[in-house]
Amino acid sequence: MGKAILIVDDSASVRQVVSIALKGAGYDVIEGCDGKDALTKLNGQKIHLIISDVNMPNMDGITFVKEVKKLPNYKFTPIIMLTTESQEGKKQEGQAAGAKAWVVKPFQPAQMLTAVAKLILP
Amino acid sequence: MSLDLDQALQTYIAEARELLQDMEDALLRLEADPNDADTIGAIFRAAHTIKGSAGLFGLDPIVSFTHIVEDVLDRVRDGDVVIEANLIAVLLESGDHMLHLVNVVAAQGGQLDAEAIARENGLRIRLQAYQASQDSSKVSHAVQVETETSFQSSGGGFVETDNWHISLRFGQNVMRDGMDPLSFIRYLSTLGEIVSITTMFDALPLADEMDAESCYLGFEIDFKSDADKATIAGVFEFAREGSLVHILPPHSKLTEYIELIRSLPESETRLGEILVATGALTQQELESGLSEQQTSARPDGSTTPLGEILVEQRSVEHEVVQAALDKQTQSKDSKNKESRYIRVQADKLDELINMVGELVIAGAGVSLLAQRVKDNPLQEAASVMSGLVEEIRDGALRLRMVPIGETFNRFQRVVRDVGRELGKDIELVITGADTELDKTVVEKIGDPLMHLVRNAMDHGIESASIRQEKGKPEKGTLRLNAFHDSGSIVIEIVDDGGGLNRDRILQKARDRGLIAPNVTPPDQEIYNMIFEAGFSTAEAITNLSGRGVGMDVVKRNIAALRGTVSLDSAVGQGTTVSIRLPLTLAIIDGFLVGVGKSSYIVPLDMVHECIELTENDRQATGERSYLNLRGEVLPFVMLREHFEIEGNGARRANVVVVSCAGQKAGLVVDELMGEFQTVIKPLGKIFSTLRGISGSTILGSGEVALILDVPSLVQQAVNRESQHVSTRQLTH
Amino acid sequence: MPIIATNKNGQSLLHIEGDMTIYTAADMKSELIAHMAQPCEREIDLSEVSEMDSAGLQILILAKREAEKHGTSMRLSGHSRAVLDVLDMCNLASYFGDPVVLSCNEKKGQ
Repeated sequence: MGKAILIVDDSASVRQVVSIALKGAGYDVIEGCDGKDALTKLNGQKIHLIISDVNMPNMDGITFVKEVKKLPNYKFTPIIMLTTESQEGKKQEGQAAGAKAWVVKPFQPAQMLTAVAKLILP
Repeated sequence: MSLDLDQALQTYIAEARELLQDMEDALLRLEADPNDADTIGAIFRAAHTIKGSAGLFGLDPIVSFTHIVEDVLDRVRDGDVVIEANLIAVLLESGDHMLHLVNVVAAQGGQLDAEAIARENGLRIRLQAYQASQDSSKVSHAVQVETETSFQSSGGGFVETDNWHISLRFGQNVMRDGMDPLSFIRYLSTLGEIVSITTMFDALPLADEMDAESCYLGFEIDFKSDADKATIAGVFEFAREGSLVHILPPHSKLTEYIELIRSLPESETRLGEILVATGALTQQELESGLSEQQTSARPDGSTTPLGEILVEQRSVEHEVVQAALDKQTQSKDSKNKESRYIRVQADKLDELINMVGELVIAGAGVSLLAQRVKDNPLQEAASVMSGLVEEIRDGALRLRMVPIGETFNRFQRVVRDVGRELGKDIELVITGADTELDKTVVEKIGDPLMHLVRNAMDHGIESASIRQEKGKPEKGTLRLNAFHDSGSIVIEIVDDGGGLNRDRILQKARDRGLIAPNVTPPDQEIYNMIFEAGFSTAEAITNLSGRGVGMDVVKRNIAALRGTVSLDSAVGQGTTVSIRLPLTLAIIDGFLVGVGKSSYIVPLDMVHECIELTENDRQATGERSYLNLRGEVLPFVMLREHFEIEGNGARRANVVVVSCAGQKAGLVVDELMGEFQTVIKPLGKIFSTLRGISGSTILGSGEVALILDVPSLVQQAVNRESQHVSTRQLTH
Repeated sequence: MPIIATNKNGQSLLHIEGDMTIYTAADMKSELIAHMAQPCEREIDLSEVSEMDSAGLQILILAKREAEKHGTSMRLSGHSRAVLDVLDMCNLASYFGDPVVLSCNEKKGQ
């Protein structure tokens, strides 16, 4: 079994592409469609990495990161924020909240794999 | 690595279309409430997602255009740009263009034609007005990539090794931040060969002072790789905050090594030993380097800066603006579409429903056999099974039911645009948006609805000046309403315009010979004349309320869906068009009747009651075309005559009383055979001219039964009856 | 608790089970350090360590240093795959100075 990654994005196509790429590289992938939904996926199972979008309905990425940091079982899980080049401010907010890694949207699947590999190998 | 992203691309296309629809809806909402932060947020997100996902698929034309839209929306969100009518107009058009991009670039893999490019350029220029002025003062985080030659060699020359040397001292927080230093090294090893590595834990404090979650580790690494500096530096990108990362390329100057040694926390001797032990430096290099550096130290005591990209010193933690964060967290958008829905391909549902249809037929066959063998337990089992099959059928059909709201909402834009075109201020009010109907019906109802809505706006609702004269509110109202009514869905298009001119229509109908000169049918019937073919174009009605144009086409389209359309109007107050449609096109509950050897099915929801045709009535049928139903006049159709079935009538005949759109009629048949649920098989094209038949089905016994088109039969009966009445009136 | 201590001929055997990661590091630290203060020889059985990260590695280093400080010894044994990978990668096998042998199944059965 590969290491488990939780991808949180309100765009189904982003989740699908990331998921295909990660699974192809040997990771297990769990999907969440926004912060709120993703929190329900953090139900005790081991998650080695979280990838989260910033702009999402219901619960945005920054709040989500803050919530994750409160959970004893997940507070040290590395988090990759999906930011855009125009969102320097968001990136900093995300880092302050505890998401120290980032990938700039729009990205190619290979870029995502590189970022993930720096943090965990399958 | 190539990934099979075809399916994901399909998801993207569907998602983008949905988002664009949401964006359009939201923009229209903004017109009413320009300051609604949630709505603005939703619009931004839509553009943001479309762009972000397009990038994944390398759909550059979409990324490039949407980027501008997103940029403008970002400014709107930040309050730098104010929402006003022109901006909404540009954004709506941009949305249309994005949809075009999605359709052409994503769905067809094509390129924009000249016209679309021209349109895009126009939009880009208009959007530019809302973008921030491109100030070149953009802080470029220029990393000082000092060229190696800028280093004044203070002697010593270059070191021998052709390995990279990487010195790492991780910040105390990296592990708490989820970054495992070991992961970076693991990844580094995928870029080349780690020739040697020394783990530095000199910083590890005494047990009491040591925080198990803080990081005290460092590494000295000699690394052989063809990767460039940026790639190697990129490995530690995420850990730079608070960490020391020094990277020396192969054959760096000796002075750089000496600088490195001096800048690291551990003692010179210890580091020197490590560098020599790992082969980064020779003993000789180390010694000469250290002594040289000493003598050439600058007078002011400063040291030569390391010419490295990545001499990242412990950077300041970024300040957090709590208020801004809290604001961001509030998202009232409660509809959590994704988690509540599974996206299923429509084909799969259709297939399922088809199979259920076959199951229904097979089940009917079993029931029939069970009855025939007169085996009680078998009949019981068969009946339980048909009950379940019925539930499965209903469940399967419900899967394909969608609320009509989405279709209705599309008209917000139409009403807005057409209203502008016509110079009329018209408000669209939607009710019953939750009413569900089969997706296949929804797909086909759009065109007729569009026609009716445009007509109502164009010809129904008067111009503001006329409305004012009449003492009506200046703003016209168009209502779209939907509700369920005995197995059908009724869709109403209501305007508060001038209404139809009954007399002119009557006149015209008479001119065309559609109504006998001396007959005056009820008003309702007169209004409905405008659905007759050839009643169109007519300047005559255009200046009244002009509902002639293409209404026969509307009626035909709706009839093709087994629906009916009727119209009611009150002069000066407005017009209501009602469309009545079956909830689904696939399966109906039928009532099986027999005429001679043939079987027919009457849709059960239209059956009112069944009565026996009495001897008196039977005799009377020869002379009049109505029955006496408890004192009510009931027009009827003899199916035997209608379908020209040979043979004499059975000894006893029955009347199935059906009702449709408020009118009742009797269908005279030989035999009543009971309820029967059935799958509709559409008739082939060659039967399309058949009147009174809407489809066929296969009975459990394998026989074919025709499904009666009750609305047309009722209409026929009523017409015939009224003709009778009028001829009688004439003879009086 | 993930650390089970047993006594064998005056030598204590510490058996660590599960993850040695940042999530367990704090507990692991206080327990191991307490054991290191005991004046006896000890062996830490790592055969059941399923995952190890930098935090876990630091704890091992700290324990080793503590033991030395108290003038006793600490040996690692039965290194699991996860532990071996880390020690290999960090070139620390010689620091701990233990014979690194992959634990075999029959050994476990004893």
